[in-house]
Amino acid sequence: MKQFGKSLSFLGIAVLTLSITIVLILMVGSNVDQAFSSFLSGIFGSFYSVSEVLVKATPLILTGLGVAVGSRSGFINIGAEGQLYMGAIAVTCIAFWLHDLPAMVMIPLVILGGFVFGGVWSAVPGFLKVRFGISEVITTLMFNYIAISIVGILVRTSLKDPSNSLPMSAFLPDGATLPTLMSSTRLHAGLLVALISVVLVWLLVWKTPTGYQMRAVGLNPRACKCSGISVYKNIILSSLISGGLAGIAGVCEVSGLHHKLLEGISPGYGYIAIIVALLGKNHPVGVVISALGIAALQIGSLGMQRMADVPTSISSIILGVVVLLILARKSIFRRLLTDE
Amino acid sequence: MDSGFITLVTMYLIASVRMATPLILAGLGEAVSEKAGILNIGVEAIMLSGAFFSFIVSFFTGNLYLGLLAGIGGGIFVSMIHAVLSIHCKANQTIAGLALNFMVMGLTSFLFLIVFGQTTTLPSCSVFSAVKIPLLSHIPIIGPALFNQNVFVYIALICIVLTAIFFYKTEWGVNLHAVGKHPQAANSAGLNVFAIRYFACFVNGILGGLGGASITLGQLGFFMENVTSGRGYIALVAVILGRRNPVGIFAAAMVIGFSQALQYNLQTLGFAIPTQVFSMFPYVVAVIVLFLSIGKSIDPSALGVPFERNKR
Repeated sequence: MKQFGKSLSFLGIAVLTLSITIVLILMVGSNVDQAFSSFLSGIFGSFYSVSEVLVKATPLILTGLGVAVGSRSGFINIGAEGQLYMGAIAVTCIAFWLHDLPAMVMIPLVILGGFVFGGVWSAVPGFLKVRFGISEVITTLMFNYIAISIVGILVRTSLKDPSNSLPMSAFLPDGATLPTLMSSTRLHAGLLVALISVVLVWLLVWKTPTGYQMRAVGLNPRACKCSGISVYKNIILSSLISGGLAGIAGVCEVSGLHHKLLEGISPGYGYIAIIVALLGKNHPVGVVISALGIAALQIGSLGMQRMADVPTSISSIILGVVVLLILARKSIFRRLLTDE
Repeated sequence: MDSGFITLVTMYLIASVRMATPLILAGLGEAVSEKAGILNIGVEAIMLSGAFFSFIVSFFTGNLYLGLLAGIGGGIFVSMIHAVLSIHCKANQTIAGLALNFMVMGLTSFLFLIVFGQTTTLPSCSVFSAVKIPLLSHIPIIGPALFNQNVFVYIALICIVLTAIFFYKTEWGVNLHAVGKHPQAANSAGLNVFAIRYFACFVNGILGGLGGASITLGQLGFFMENVTSGRGYIALVAVILGRRNPVGIFAAAMVIGFSQALQYNLQTLGFAIPTQVFSMFPYVVAVIVLFLSIGKSIDPSALGVPFERNKR
């Protein structure tokens, strides 16, 4: 019965969100039918639009997975955005530094590099949290801005392409670019990297003693301390993996999609990642599903703007509303969840 | 010192104060909220909502003071959503703030498009003009920077004094501290933890809304998508740098304002240094300040922790 109430409360959230969406569409003065059909055709209308959803989902899966690993051990990572940019810096530096390497060596190397750069960028706040009790919410947030500024400086100075007046790097050497999965789409092998990461993280966090310890630390740090599980070690480890995954997202964006380093490679993926992890209940499979859902929402809203004149900002309203409703779920549907 | 140097310093100081005003207002609000144990990452949303509603109302009524009130109202609205979620629903405050940022960002640009449609020229309204305060404005250097500015600067200065008195000289300030430091003890001592936290969020809404309004009605005279462009997050940094002390927040906001003023100036002068060096500066300083404050516990110990009356 309780399970039933729970599902009913989620249904309630869906209905509320849908009605808010309809109100918004009506406010623009657009036809609701047309808006929804253009939303769906924006997603499923063509081979290309479906591939675009996957392109957008790739960095969301990786960063969302990172945030999820962090939250499992109690490390609230607001800094996936900055870690993504650090990964992007890593891939660009390594690719230009070792530009002769064949792809077979280069690709794993840049992914490793992105993992390390992003991981360190997140492990420092992790260290500050466990060693000195400094809130990671604030430090990771500030590290975002520092990382974005570093990218801004690099693309104007040492990594700048001298033949281009705009602040961006030259194209990466061929060996460092991820192959395209389907011709005439932008879908790249980064999706495979993301899915492999999902499996690896699932194995690590749910099937190994290390993962068990990490989750235990997130559930009850004090009990862990008493029973010999090191809170210190596990939070630093999980923050390292958390940032590392976001770093890999940066690698995929640069070497899979843009093929060069430029400012603004991430339109807030690192922040959406927190929502991805929340909706995915910090579980790898959930993360994949919610990343796909959010990517589809954004791509679909583009279609809605093209064909029904509904501004794309509707997607960010919906996203915000869903999260707020989920946070308030237990209070809104208290009757449903406690009675019987 | 020659007069040229003094003019230059005065000029930078004026620009810094202008840049710092929204940060001071929003930062003070956030400090009140954090003292009571509510960490609101959604300052950006509060400011954006304040900026939006203040602009819309003053555009259609032509009255800047009504606009200012609407800005305050917009700020309170967003802040109270966060308050209900984090106090009543005991939700994760960070995620609630972040979700509010998303929602308000979408909502303001959505409503703006509905009201004005796709336009090439941004609709604009008048801005508060500078009010010269007699005598004080004649003090060299500080005079023009602090006492020949628009109403928002004066509000900010008054708020610094008021929050400082409130924090350190009144019983209410002590209660606020108590609720943020140890809500259970505060509860046992007969304080209404929930009411005090709601009050703190309310103040945060007022000040954050004012901060947002100061951007549209004090500086720009127009609204556009994401007009606050991360100032809410910078205000969070100012709070950390200033260690939740009103005077400290003022100093921090001035440092940040100065680095922004410098950044714009170097851009126009065509210096070879990327401006990001300066925009990064406040964040790096904030991290260093955090390092230096290691060992001295300055955070309210219940920051971000929901209070449940029946739990220990």
